Amino acid sequence: MKKAANGLFVGVFLLMSFLIVCTSGAQEVKMTALNPRGNPPAIPLVPMAPRLDTLDGKTIYFVDVRFPGGKSFLLEMMDWFAKNMPMVKTVFREKAGPYMDADPKLWAEIKRNGDAMIMAIGH
Amino acid sequence: MFLDLVKTTAYKKGMPNQRFTFVPHPVWGKSASVHRQYVEGNDPISGKPVMREVIDALTKPLTQEEKKTGFLERKEPRLVGPDTADNLQQLFLENGWTDGLPIVLPTEKKVAEMLKGTSRRPDELVGKMRPSPPHEAWEYTVEKVAINAVMAGAKPEYFPVILAIASTGATSLFSSTTSFARMVVVNGPIRDQIGMNSGMGAMGPFNHANATIGRAWTLLSKNLSGGGILGETYLGSQGNNLSYNNVCLAENEMTNPWKPFHVQKGFRPEQSVVSLFTGWGIIHSFGSAKKEFHKQMAGLMGSFCPYSSGTSVSGALVLPDPLVAKDLKEAQGFDTKEKLSEWIYKNTLISVEDYWNSGLVDTFTLPQAQLGVEPFASWLKLPKDALIPRFLSPKEINIVVVGGETNAFWQAGDFRYIGSALVDAWK
Repeated sequence: MKKAANGLFVGVFLLMSFLIVCTSGAQEVKMTALNPRGNPPAIPLVPMAPRLDTLDGKTIYFVDVRFPGGKSFLLEMMDWFAKNMPMVKTVFREKAGPYMDADPKLWAEIKRNGDAMIMAIGH
Repeated sequence: MFLDLVKTTAYKKGMPNQRFTFVPHPVWGKSASVHRQYVEGNDPISGKPVMREVIDALTKPLTQEEKKTGFLERKEPRLVGPDTADNLQQLFLENGWTDGLPIVLPTEKKVAEMLKGTSRRPDELVGKMRPSPPHEAWEYTVEKVAINAVMAGAKPEYFPVILAIASTGATSLFSSTTSFARMVVVNGPIRDQIGMNSGMGAMGPFNHANATIGRAWTLLSKNLSGGGILGETYLGSQGNNLSYNNVCLAENEMTNPWKPFHVQKGFRPEQSVVSLFTGWGIIHSFGSAKKEFHKQMAGLMGSFCPYSSGTSVSGALVLPDPLVAKDLKEAQGFDTKEKLSEWIYKNTLISVEDYWNSGLVDTFTLPQAQLGVEPFASWLKLPKDALIPRFLSPKEINIVVVGGETNAFWQAGDFRYIGSALVDAWK
């Protein structure tokens, strides 16, 4: 009787061990998946334009892309320069076209006549 | 709010060290005195005086980093893992590669199965896509589209349809604070070949092909263009629920009394085509007691966004049940879709005052009018109560018949046609 009980105990122990091993093995199954992302292009770096040693006597263009409120904001900034840094010449311009488009004529004018540009961008 | 957007946009334009300063949000709608306070106040991000930052930005000498030239490479690994299925699901979710719902993990085996749905090579270039015009465009291959198609739960036989959509380069998640939505309509024999629904419940969650093809477009728009990143490449203030599936449907060509949409656009009836649309929302008609559906259409569509140049938005996509379409043809005399479009165009006018009061018109069309571009320049001179067309032309009003004839209803969306692509080319 004692031998039968021992045998039953060993059998149950082995069965439990087997089940634990199987369950642990199933939880450890690992897989790889393919990356769903596309290929971002390499980015050509654009070095920043040289800075001015001083703003006195310089011409700063204030460019409005016509985002609502942008013009009013830029005019207030120009007014600040007039009151606080009167040696700075300020010029206001509206960029042509939708606000994400370039304006080559304006860029050419700024390169010709300006020393710096401040653009107000909204979204 | 826009710090991440500004930094990543500048980075992607090759200017990771671009100097900028912020003012409080919003600028739009504020008075000059508030703008003055913004100028005289502090940058809400850095806490520093705005004008100090402006002057420093223009005068402080450049650092070595700011002078750098060359290229920034951004290679993506081909494989993800190995890890358990649960962990990979979580990874995909946390990386923003899903629509928030569980996906079918794109194992190499599943992607290989999907690739059997096309004769094209896995490394063949399908197209380029960007989240919106200021953003960079990413390239993607047939394999990359297949990965996203697997994720959506699509079957290989749907793959040519998904490839056709991807080949247009049109994103389903266009980045705009207005929260755009997209629609995709399928025409031709492919509809029946892959078991798409064009009848009862076609616009609802009742069909595997409709559901997964539409979902695939959203997933590939997120992943193949770097799109759908909140605050960076997606700025929809509220988002749009239609973006989960893009209202993917098949036109009911069997009971449609008119020409199928793709035939109107110059394709042959036996060709299979996907057609894409962009807009914001859909309205429902609740039927017409007098059965004057065209008048009801003009009335309800009279609230749709008026045409705005520059962005070229504004259009209408009418979705009549076949019962409505047949009545319009047989009882009301609209024997072609074009005649109905013409009638709606003439009967959805808008006052000049309301036209110029539209936000998009004010931003994009007013500058054109001021430059003398017609007809906008002439519209500026009209009295406020004069009436002008809401839509650019009858061609901006499209009609797709869909439904199962359980009742005479129609729906319509403020959706403009983007373009079509041939499915057959991707088989």
